[in-house]
Amino acid sequence: MLPEVLLATVPLEHVLILGAILFAIGLYLALSKRNAIGVLMGIELMLNAVNVTLLAFSRYVVSPRPLDGQVFAIFVITVAAGEAAVALALAVAIYRHRETVNIDEIDVLRW
Amino acid sequence: MLASLDRFGPELAVMATAGLVLLADLVVPRRHKAWLAGLSVAGLLAAALWLVILVLRGRQASFFDDSMALDNFSIFFIFLFIAVCGTVIIASLDYAPRFGSHQGEFFALMLLATSGMMLLAGARDLVTIFVSLELTSISQFILAGLLRDDKGSEAALKYLLLGAIASAVILYGMAFLFGIAGTTRLVTTNGAPSIASTIAAGDAGIRSALILSMVFLAAGFGFKMAVVPFQMWTPDVYQGAPTPVAAFLSVGSKAAAFAVVLRIFYEGFGPNTFVGNDWKEMFAILAAVSMCVGNVMALRQTNIRRMLGYSSVAQAGNFLVGLAAISALTNGRTSLGASGVVFFLATYAFTNLGAFIAVMAISNRTDSDEIADYAGMGRRAPIPAAVLLFCLLSLTGLPPTAGFIAKVYIFNAAVQADLVWLVIVAVLNTAVSAFYYLGVARQMYLETAEGLPTLVRAPWATQGILVVAAMGVLTFGVYPIPLIEAAQRAVNVFG
Amino acid sequence: MIEQFGRAGFLLIFAIAFPLIPIAASVALGVFRIRPRKPDPIKSSVYECGMVPVGDALVRYNVRYYLFALLFVVFDVEAVFLYPWAVAYRALGVYAFVEALIFIAILFVGYVYAWRKRAMEWI
Repeated sequence: MLPEVLLATVPLEHVLILGAILFAIGLYLALSKRNAIGVLMGIELMLNAVNVTLLAFSRYVVSPRPLDGQVFAIFVITVAAGEAAVALALAVAIYRHRETVNIDEIDVLRW
Repeated sequence: MLASLDRFGPELAVMATAGLVLLADLVVPRRHKAWLAGLSVAGLLAAALWLVILVLRGRQASFFDDSMALDNFSIFFIFLFIAVCGTVIIASLDYAPRFGSHQGEFFALMLLATSGMMLLAGARDLVTIFVSLELTSISQFILAGLLRDDKGSEAALKYLLLGAIASAVILYGMAFLFGIAGTTRLVTTNGAPSIASTIAAGDAGIRSALILSMVFLAAGFGFKMAVVPFQMWTPDVYQGAPTPVAAFLSVGSKAAAFAVVLRIFYEGFGPNTFVGNDWKEMFAILAAVSMCVGNVMALRQTNIRRMLGYSSVAQAGNFLVGLAAISALTNGRTSLGASGVVFFLATYAFTNLGAFIAVMAISNRTDSDEIADYAGMGRRAPIPAAVLLFCLLSLTGLPPTAGFIAKVYIFNAAVQADLVWLVIVAVLNTAVSAFYYLGVARQMYLETAEGLPTLVRAPWATQGILVVAAMGVLTFGVYPIPLIEAAQRAVNVFG
Repeated sequence: MIEQFGRAGFLLIFAIAFPLIPIAASVALGVFRIRPRKPDPIKSSVYECGMVPVGDALVRYNVRYYLFALLFVVFDVEAVFLYPWAVAYRALGVYAFVEALIFIAILFVGYVYAWRKRAMEWI
């Protein structure tokens, strides 16, 4: 058997803090990156932060339906994949026109 | 479960039609792609017919274990979405050949986006809301870039990246809502705990987490509703996306977002709970900011689609007035604010579709969206110009149009909810908006066009749709009672 | 509070020690001249599955790979929904079986579409 210290569980707040930090990093990346693919990576990080949060709540929440959170996380993963696929296809389409995927150079439409 | 499948019929019909269109596109030769439009409209009609039968048989209920609801609210919006999608498909018959070999995708994606909106109107579970929201959004991202031209791709990429950030923000708020309530059901009918019952219990310990979740949800849905400060994508997408898609987005996407916001905030959070005042104040401020920024930015636009984009931001501010004034009651139980939002959305659907389709009919022949090129359009394209003028009057909120009744209705709600400052802001903004709306009218009727082709012909189907839209705007401007009653019945399900 | 991180702490210590010990051993054997030192160009090149490395790793990939990756990702992730169903197959019964069939039918429409649009051909 494992020693007692290894069996102790991580408290909910710690996982939530992890989720919040991941979400903040993702949001920062999404807002600051110049490259469209980089923005997309930031968004993926945000979605995974959501998954961490959902799973943490699903583990700790006292309710008749705690597994809702895990089901939710599966849907988040799938939708994230769909969004990423469309985004990459659009990035390819833009690259064919402009030879760039840098967002600050994609500026035909503004104001 | 199977016993409730018929309540899900309209959505299923639209989705199945989308699949059929996609498959039929593979075998239909290019000359006959218009058949696909016929198939799409037939599917929409079947869905509408099915819904009528459901209503006649009184099948309204919460179903699929409370994750969906067929109630007066969802029925109202499903009819609205079917009408909007059908109108846009018929009006775009003239435009569709521009999609080249992607006409089938255009119709299929329109149907998929519509089915997502229909699901959103009835969704009562956070997972269902999220999945239907993404079904709508992803279809719209692709639609915006379907022409694969320079501007369209740019608009689509911007729309997608900002939209994905908004989805992530919504999800984070939903995750906390799940953590607070321990379930993703907004409301339950069998007495099981739900988000609404948890909030109604009013445990002070959950207040801060609840407000965090509320702010995240409002920010994310604020993007979908196109309110300041989440409006950046609106003018770009309205200008860059194909015109029928922009018309569809400006009406359908906005109505779906407001429907789901009403579900979550009015039905879930509730207007009279211990966080009720918090979200009402939040929406009041967002409303004021949206109206001011949208109108000021619209003043300096030279492209009519960009102008309509900023005007839609300002209109979203008007709708939010209704959300802020949700606790004003009439007949003792019907929320004036909420029914005002629903009524306003329906009239706005007619008005904005009319305006966008008129713009499409004109620009399809002149190949320009610059307001300066609308000079003398009153003579060059009498019917589209007249409808555009009428719709712009309605957007401004002048009688005898539906927009006038909607504004009066919603401002009345705001006054009764003691939001006089908001009404003053809104009325001042209406005055500002008259400048740019009527500027287009002046260009069309008072300027003369020299050296420009004299006549701009629009196809009969488009002209017919335009006349129907204008008739709708006029009818509900003169005799709005039936629509108001329908809107009141729709929001009574929350009361 | 801190002892609850014991598990992660143990993992961290192992994770750091595991690569450090062989590196330290290698350095130590070199210092005490037990290990011979005879470098040659092939020996000191980057190890890549026994192949001779060619060119730079930072090349541009052909955009066609993207199309295949897109198709793969979408179908791959959709399969996620089949796992929970397969695990609970007996408990869920016929209703879930029909649901799964419908789900697969939708994926099949997508597959036929991609196939007929020639998304799977190397252009």
